[in-house]
Amino acid sequence: MASVDSTSLKVSEVYKNFDRESHTVEVLRGISFEIGEGQSLAITGPSGSGKSTLLHLIGTLDKPSSGTIEINDNDPFALPEPQLAKFRNQVIGFVFQDHHLLPQYSVLENVLIPTMAFKRNNGDAEERAKALLESVGLAHRLSHRPAELSGGECQRVAVARALINRPSLLLCDEPTGNLDRSTAETVASLLFELHEVEQNVLIVVTHSLDLAVRLGHRLELEEGICVKV
Amino acid sequence: MRQSLIHFWRIHLAVLLGTAVATSVLTGALLVGDSVRGSLRDLTLDRLGRIDYALVSDQFFRETLASDILRASDTAEQFEDPVPAILLSGTATNASTRARASRVQIQGIDERFLKLWTSAETANLGGFTTKQPGQSFPSVIINQSLQKELNVQVGAPLLISFERRSDIHREFLLGRRDSSDVVQTLRLTIVKIIPDRGLGRFSLDSSQSLPLIAYVHLPILQKAIENRERVNAFFVSRSYHSPNLTTDALKSLQIGLHQALNLEDLGLTLRKGKGYFSLESKQFLLKPSVIAAAKAVAADRQMPFLPILTYLANTIAADERRIPYSTISALNPERATSLQLTDGSPAPALAEDEIFINEWAAADLAAMVGDQIKVSYYVMGPREELITQNAKFRLKGILALDGLAADRGLTPTFPGVHDADDMSDWNAPFPIDLNAIRSKDEIYWDLFRATPKAFVSEETGQRLWRSRFGSLTAVWIFPDSSGDIERTKEYFQKGLLEEIRPEQVGFVIQPVKAQGLQAASGATDFSMLFIGFSLFLIVSAVLLVGLLFRLGVEGRTGEIGLLMSSGYTISTIRWRFIKEGCLLAGIGGVVGTGGAVVYAWLLMVGLRTWWLAAVGTPYLVLHINLLSLGLGYFIAIAVVLLSIGWTVRKLGKSSVRALIAGDTILEYKTFGHFTPILAYTSLGLAASLMIFAFISGKTSSAPLFFGGGALLLAAVLAFFSMWLRIPPNFLSRSQRMRTLRMGVRDSGRRKGRSILCAALVGCACFVIVATGANRHSGTEHGMLLRKESGTGGFALTAESDVPLHHNLNSESGRFELGFSEADATILGQTQIFQLRLLPGEDVSCLNLYQPQKPRILGVPAELIERGGFQFQAAQTTTPEESANPWNALEGDPESGVIPAIGDYNSVLWILHLGLGENLVVQNEFGEALTLRLVGLLRSSIFQSELLISDDNFKKHFPSQSGHSYFLIQPPSEEVAGIEGSEKPAEIAQILEYTLSDYGFDATSTIEKLANYRAVENTYLSTFQTLGGLGLLLGTLGLGVVLLRNVIERRGELATLRAFGFRRSTLSLMLLAENGFLLAVSILIGSLSAMVAVAPHIISPAGSYVPWLSLAITLIAVFLVGIGASAVSVYFALRTRLLPVLKAE
Repeated sequence: MASVDSTSLKVSEVYKNFDRESHTVEVLRGISFEIGEGQSLAITGPSGSGKSTLLHLIGTLDKPSSGTIEINDNDPFALPEPQLAKFRNQVIGFVFQDHHLLPQYSVLENVLIPTMAFKRNNGDAEERAKALLESVGLAHRLSHRPAELSGGECQRVAVARALINRPSLLLCDEPTGNLDRSTAETVASLLFELHEVEQNVLIVVTHSLDLAVRLGHRLELEEGICVKV
Repeated sequence: MRQSLIHFWRIHLAVLLGTAVATSVLTGALLVGDSVRGSLRDLTLDRLGRIDYALVSDQFFRETLASDILRASDTAEQFEDPVPAILLSGTATNASTRARASRVQIQGIDERFLKLWTSAETANLGGFTTKQPGQSFPSVIINQSLQKELNVQVGAPLLISFERRSDIHREFLLGRRDSSDVVQTLRLTIVKIIPDRGLGRFSLDSSQSLPLIAYVHLPILQKAIENRERVNAFFVSRSYHSPNLTTDALKSLQIGLHQALNLEDLGLTLRKGKGYFSLESKQFLLKPSVIAAAKAVAADRQMPFLPILTYLANTIAADERRIPYSTISALNPERATSLQLTDGSPAPALAEDEIFINEWAAADLAAMVGDQIKVSYYVMGPREELITQNAKFRLKGILALDGLAADRGLTPTFPGVHDADDMSDWNAPFPIDLNAIRSKDEIYWDLFRATPKAFVSEETGQRLWRSRFGSLTAVWIFPDSSGDIERTKEYFQKGLLEEIRPEQVGFVIQPVKAQGLQAASGATDFSMLFIGFSLFLIVSAVLLVGLLFRLGVEGRTGEIGLLMSSGYTISTIRWRFIKEGCLLAGIGGVVGTGGAVVYAWLLMVGLRTWWLAAVGTPYLVLHINLLSLGLGYFIAIAVVLLSIGWTVRKLGKSSVRALIAGDTILEYKTFGHFTPILAYTSLGLAASLMIFAFISGKTSSAPLFFGGGALLLAAVLAFFSMWLRIPPNFLSRSQRMRTLRMGVRDSGRRKGRSILCAALVGCACFVIVATGANRHSGTEHGMLLRKESGTGGFALTAESDVPLHHNLNSESGRFELGFSEADATILGQTQIFQLRLLPGEDVSCLNLYQPQKPRILGVPAELIERGGFQFQAAQTTTPEESANPWNALEGDPESGVIPAIGDYNSVLWILHLGLGENLVVQNEFGEALTLRLVGLLRSSIFQSELLISDDNFKKHFPSQSGHSYFLIQPPSEEVAGIEGSEKPAEIAQILEYTLSDYGFDATSTIEKLANYRAVENTYLSTFQTLGGLGLLLGTLGLGVVLLRNVIERRGELATLRAFGFRRSTLSLMLLAENGFLLAVSILIGSLSAMVAVAPHIISPAGSYVPWLSLAITLIAVFLVGIGASAVSVYFALRTRLLPVLKAE
């Protein structure tokens, strides 16, 4: 991994095991890397290599069995659950393969959902949400509901949602996996454009080499081990 | 299908169990109806033994009449020999402890009666006809109920009191009303106590309550009532050899009765006079029906006849001279050809104000033709008090004391007077001033006895002295053209007996077994009642089945999508699911049928124990009817399949892509037309019903308001459904409580499910609030004793076995009845209304049988004027009636129809009638009497009877003498503080003690009302219990829905977790979603119910609503619902959500 001036994410000797009934599965085995502000990273590898698990660990959705993950020089796993949730809410943004939009809410409301998790002054949230939706090309779809959107549009809403709290770390798990080539290209371009604008750390888990090569760095996993950086 | 059934076994098992519950409850309710009917039928057969027909008359007749009927009948071979008996009602007293039981059936029977029962039941009873060695008093057999009531044992002495028979009506001038003349007491020895079944529960009345019975040997009772070889009842049973009666059997018996009745049975005599024969009655007065028949026969056969009414004058006076105690005959002199004046000329016709006196009287009064003659006489006042009235006449002529004028037969025989040697020896029932009787009067008595001293015209006599008991004392028949008096008499007698229909004179053979079995069909259809009670449970189960099946189908959307993408048509897939549903429903139904038996058994146990107050008998047992089992099974299956079909119907509305992706039907774009139509139509109808209720003045109409409330419930649920479809717009709101708000908005995510749950819980709350608000509390004493309440302001009500013929409100009346001076003083401050009572069947909810001959009360004018009680509804035509609906009793709706008032509950639920509707009963003359219900009382003490005016009562039931029903109002200051006052109890004790021989039994009106209300409350409690079970299922459904929602939304929830939403926040959000649904449902159900019970709430007398307990119940419902939701949320969020987010 290239050296960085100000480290935003530092992963050191991370292991992750899952206990099964008769044995323990080692999903990640000693993963280490660092990435700085404004940089992007693609995590690639065959199915079952531990890509999504690594992403979830970085996203603090799961805890490593051993090793450390520092985000902006903080160890989020040292925080109690409420603070960890708040940390995740304010620092990390997610885009998943499935958009997981809430069908009962409008596009605008879906984008605003992360701002609802904690009590704070969200006076500008709606404006930012509209701006984000405009930037993803959905300004005309504010009051529509997910059922009325195409798959690509839903994923663009998911991207806007991920950025609503201005996260310093944007994690994408196969963001174009469910999309056709053309739509995937559109969504990918959007991600990069916004990454440029927001200057956050962008980490994308993907099978797509086309996508991976467009990111600044690349980490390839195989059976839980980093085989290529 | 087998594989999928096994694979999704959990949800299928739930569907199967849901179907089983629905089938159990529905079929069980049908079985309850069968069981109640079957049990009542069993009780009917048990209490009647082999008796098929019975005749019970107010008058005594020959014991041999029964056998004569069969001899006269052409279907005699169909019957066993009729069994004569005496049936009386009276009081039994434990001679040792003075413990007393009222309304005891005193039956005079012999060995023939015992043959109507099985030998097992009558074993060892034959000996009661004779006294045992050392036994001083005649034997009596009592049943176990009476034994318990009096706490007596075999060998103990027992006093039985009953009304002494009197041929002459007690309310007639010559009727005897003294206690010793009215009440008769027998001392007996108990020789056997028989169980309360068969012979021990014999009763001709259709009632499930156990009778109190005392059997006395027939000859003993006949001797006691001085009516040897006479009875007042007989029973007929079908022959062993002819078990199936023909439909004409009753008609044949009735014809046989008509042919067998003779003049003696009817209490009539044909006395032979000089050149005539006289038709007279043992009752002194001839009944109108007999008079009409006699006149018709005489006219038809061209027999000259002379109607005569002879009355007693206290004085006949001219100037200062007066003759005491003379009889006056009213007849038409033109018909009485042998009536001659002293100059030998025929007596001329009399004008209304003219009179003849005989020559003896004329001499005594020194009266001349043209003089004024004053006649004073007694008449009976409305309260059976003797009132002296006077009439003035002009002396038209003086009759020779010869021929007809000297015929002693003009005055019928009157025991105690006729046979007295001297006038001063008269044993008359009216007061006699012995000082007024002169020696010359005694001489006249010696020479002419009761020969009338004066004559007035027939019209004048009718105007002055006719009464409801009759208008003539005799009809004299003169020989027809043949001149043969014997032949005329024979012809007349034959014609008279043919002309008088038995039912006109109170002889009606009743098919008691058929009537009993018909009545056993019940006043209340318990099948429908329990289906109604269980309706919410059934609906809950069916909705739950639909919900579960829907969840099962939705859980397989991927499979559906795959099948559709593989070329399966939607109809094929639907059919596949329907087949699964049919199989599940079929098996569930079979399981449910077994459950139905258990459910019905449990309900029967409940009715015999916890809800005993509702049915009043512990003799209800389970009867399993295969037809009901089958019917319940198929109805339940059909309903469940409809629910499943409705679920499957929606399958085709999703795209194949969405289905494969696991998406279920989302309904956000638009909403169908049905919901708004339902919402606005229901709201419109609800509003119309309310407006109609207010405009028409029917603000107390429960059906209108209940219907309005139910429609409102449907409307609000429909509006709620529409609200859930409105696009979310919470952004303009403040950020406070945003999580809760998100939860509230999430309730619209699966609108169908949310509405289903809201409907379930809303309906449950509707039931709970509506029934709860209708419950009656036993603590409303102050309110209950108001004049406009169910008690009418009366503290006590009482009944007597033997009617009273004295006025309890008058000093003389109390004296005659034997009250001590101190007691009379206390009673003097008490107002007592005395009502006439026609015995009959209880028409209240206390009687499970369908009443066919209701108890009827005659309401005196002063009670009508007083008013009081609260009317549920009244049909009034004048301002006076509107001000006091009791006045409607004195109205005249139309010819042949008389106004009646009944209790709303009894009329509606037991008689199945309403305001303005007619009930046809039979009057004393066997005529159909139409009672028009002009007023319906609300929750009153008159739930067991119908009320008509006293005048109408006397007109149609003239033989019913005296007053047997009493309303007692202590001094107002005592009523005001009734809870702390002992006055009513003291008054009750005084009355019961002094009038014990009359079988006087006083009850607190509050207690009486409480007994009725206990039934009502028990039904409501049953309803609430079963509604509660339904709510449990509804809550279970809510939990299932929430669980399924969470499972479906795991991706969304995981995303929210990823965006920083804490587990507690998500839990709160999910609970808010369900809590909102629950709160809205409770609110909708409760408010709609409030509208439904508005009449109850706004009514002044019944406005007791247990707000606190209702609020607690609703809060409990909310907490239970939230609890069930919390459990679901706990289990749903316990599983890890994040793996859902993984792309690989």
